[in-house]
Amino acid sequence: MAAEGPGGLRLLALDPEARALGLNPGEPLGRVRARIGVPLQVYPADPMADREALLRLCRWASGYAPLVAPFGPAEAADGLYIDVDGASHLRGGETNLVADLAARLARGGISARIALADTPGAAFALARHGEADRTVVAPGGSAEALRGLPLEALRLDPDMAAGLRRLGLRRVGELDALPRAPLARRFGEALLLRLDQALARRPEPLAPLSDEAEYAAARGFLDPIGRQSDIVRTARDLMAEIAPRLERDGLGACALRLALHRVDGAVRPLDLGLSRPERCPERVAALVSLRLDRLGSGLDAGFGFETVALTVTVSGAMPARQTDLGTATAGDGVGILADALAQRLGRVLLRLEPEASHLPERADRSCPWMADPGQGSPPDMAGGRAPAYLPPSPAGKRGRARASASPVAYPVTPPWPDHLPPRPLVLFPRGEAALDVLSTVPEGPPRRFSWRAQVHRVAHAEGPERIAAEWWREPGAERDYYRVECEAGHRLWLYRDGPHGPDRPAAWYVHGLFA
Amino acid sequence: MGLDPADDTERASARGDPRARLDALRARLAPPASSRGLRPVLPLGLAALDQHLPGGGLALGPPHEIAPATPVDMIAALGFALALCARQLARASEAALIAAAPGQPLPYGHGLAGLGLDPTRLVLLEAGSDAEVFRALEAALHAGSLAVLIGLLREGLPLKPGRRLQLAAEGPAPPLLLILRPAACGLPNGAATRWRIAAAPAARDRFGTLDRPRWRARLERCRNGRGGDWLLEWDHAAHRLHLPESLAGDASAAGRSRA
Repeated sequence: MAAEGPGGLRLLALDPEARALGLNPGEPLGRVRARIGVPLQVYPADPMADREALLRLCRWASGYAPLVAPFGPAEAADGLYIDVDGASHLRGGETNLVADLAARLARGGISARIALADTPGAAFALARHGEADRTVVAPGGSAEALRGLPLEALRLDPDMAAGLRRLGLRRVGELDALPRAPLARRFGEALLLRLDQALARRPEPLAPLSDEAEYAAARGFLDPIGRQSDIVRTARDLMAEIAPRLERDGLGACALRLALHRVDGAVRPLDLGLSRPERCPERVAALVSLRLDRLGSGLDAGFGFETVALTVTVSGAMPARQTDLGTATAGDGVGILADALAQRLGRVLLRLEPEASHLPERADRSCPWMADPGQGSPPDMAGGRAPAYLPPSPAGKRGRARASASPVAYPVTPPWPDHLPPRPLVLFPRGEAALDVLSTVPEGPPRRFSWRAQVHRVAHAEGPERIAAEWWREPGAERDYYRVECEAGHRLWLYRDGPHGPDRPAAWYVHGLFA
Repeated sequence: MGLDPADDTERASARGDPRARLDALRARLAPPASSRGLRPVLPLGLAALDQHLPGGGLALGPPHEIAPATPVDMIAALGFALALCARQLARASEAALIAAAPGQPLPYGHGLAGLGLDPTRLVLLEAGSDAEVFRALEAALHAGSLAVLIGLLREGLPLKPGRRLQLAAEGPAPPLLLILRPAACGLPNGAATRWRIAAAPAARDRFGTLDRPRWRARLERCRNGRGGDWLLEWDHAAHRLHLPESLAGDASAAGRSRA
């Protein structure tokens, strides 16, 4: 039950139980309360939500036929038209289509009355005022089917219907039998228009569901285009068409699809991904150009493209930002580069991130570079942050960096630890075996070893730094790491895998190289 | 006689000093836009080096080649390039791009602190070939807003990509450093300088532990400059290169490094 207020609260819709009590939509709520002692449950009406739900239903129903139109205010806005002309055979005829539609709606918990007729007016009349829940009128049978229906079925406004009723006219057939000129003089053109629309004497165009919400634009060409510059220019124009709509809704395109329809019917879709929401036509055109560069002759233009359509497949929030005149932020530059490389080389930019592990090979990883949605630039640490010599309190350091640079730091990136002993500049994914190791004491660092077919004589060794295996992941021996400098000046990071035992000589590995 | 005095001196100088005459002709012929003296440079902060380089530092824009002396010195060359990168990042606020051909080492995040670099300011690209590295660097030069560009090449820099990079670097540009294979030097390719880097025993602190990395750097070729050979020491805290001889450090270490 719902109620709304035009001159006091009135009933708007009723559930079957209330209908059984003899209530009618449009009755003032006060009178209903006085008439019926039963406690009423009244909910306020929400026309916006109703409209949304109807649009959702329309979008769902477009699976039956492309042309779907919601009811307008003259039809009480509680239903929808589907133009199944030429589409009914896909569901095995009109009767089957109506049955299928009814079954699906019932499964969705929607009670519906369905009518299929020659004109939208006739279908509306039969659906709202017909006898059966489901009606299918054979072609040309509309006039016959409408003859016995009440006048309200013609979508007349209530005053006009009441006036006609006072003249003793109750049925559509009676109205149709009268001479037209006096009727038009008395009740205006609207009455005859509705009558003619229902009886297929005048056409009634449906206002189809607009697809403005999904940010798309297309352009057709009489002369097919095939040159890259033409496609790029068209893409820019299409984006310029979409951009104001995106801007109005505070959105930007994160992914775009450019569909190129070839003359012979083949469709060539190009998907473009962006590192950050974007609505600048020039940048989209630049990305299209780079992608076409990469495709080269892989884009088979054939006899040319007759339609070019640009659709925003993924959109993201893009609040309006005030930028300095003529300068872009650093993140913008990296973002532009990331997009350009993704289109041109098909490769993503990476950034290093620390991982919570004390095994060196697991302690960092590279992950795709992402634009920071808030600020647009990776957090600017105060020029050349060098953790090794800054005071070891992490809070102080982060705070300082924040104060000097962007107010929004990366929330997702954990900070790099700054208390680690020296780590090599390059780390191998797994240790490379050092052979022929000679050391003065079994537990000590090596004096000489060969690695990569070269003998290295150790001039200086520091260590050990003991790193235990991560027993919760897999069992392993603990490693003793040594920083070693050879006589030639190369600095290596060596480790001994496990302790030296009498029955088992220690295995040595080179795990990294220092600068 | 009835001549303008300025004309008179010009004529006198033209007759007398051929060097002045050449200078006057050069000044007349030089296109005004591409005056080399105006290109910004990245000074290395070391007078002994900077006076060998035209303009007092590494020119921003044209590629600089950095080659290891032997394959094992690859890391030393990478360290030298990253040291220069750290120097530039300390002056700028943008990020640095490292584009690596397959098989080339990418830096380890936790090891960057040892050179005074912030890992969050590095952007990496794993390219599929040298050609992709060149394309990526070119795109980065066009995009702007990067402080340093470093390319790790499998081979070397041929002439054509070198010219393309040079053209892309017109106008304000970041320093562009290319690390190549030891043997891939020799042909002219438009690079401004060519460095040959070898590892050298590191400086020790007063407890005798490894402290600052040292490299033997040879400036093999330098357009409009002079070559040279130095032992360099990198101070990651101050982002400065030093000559170890000028330090009152561990004398035995300095002596050994010269040997």
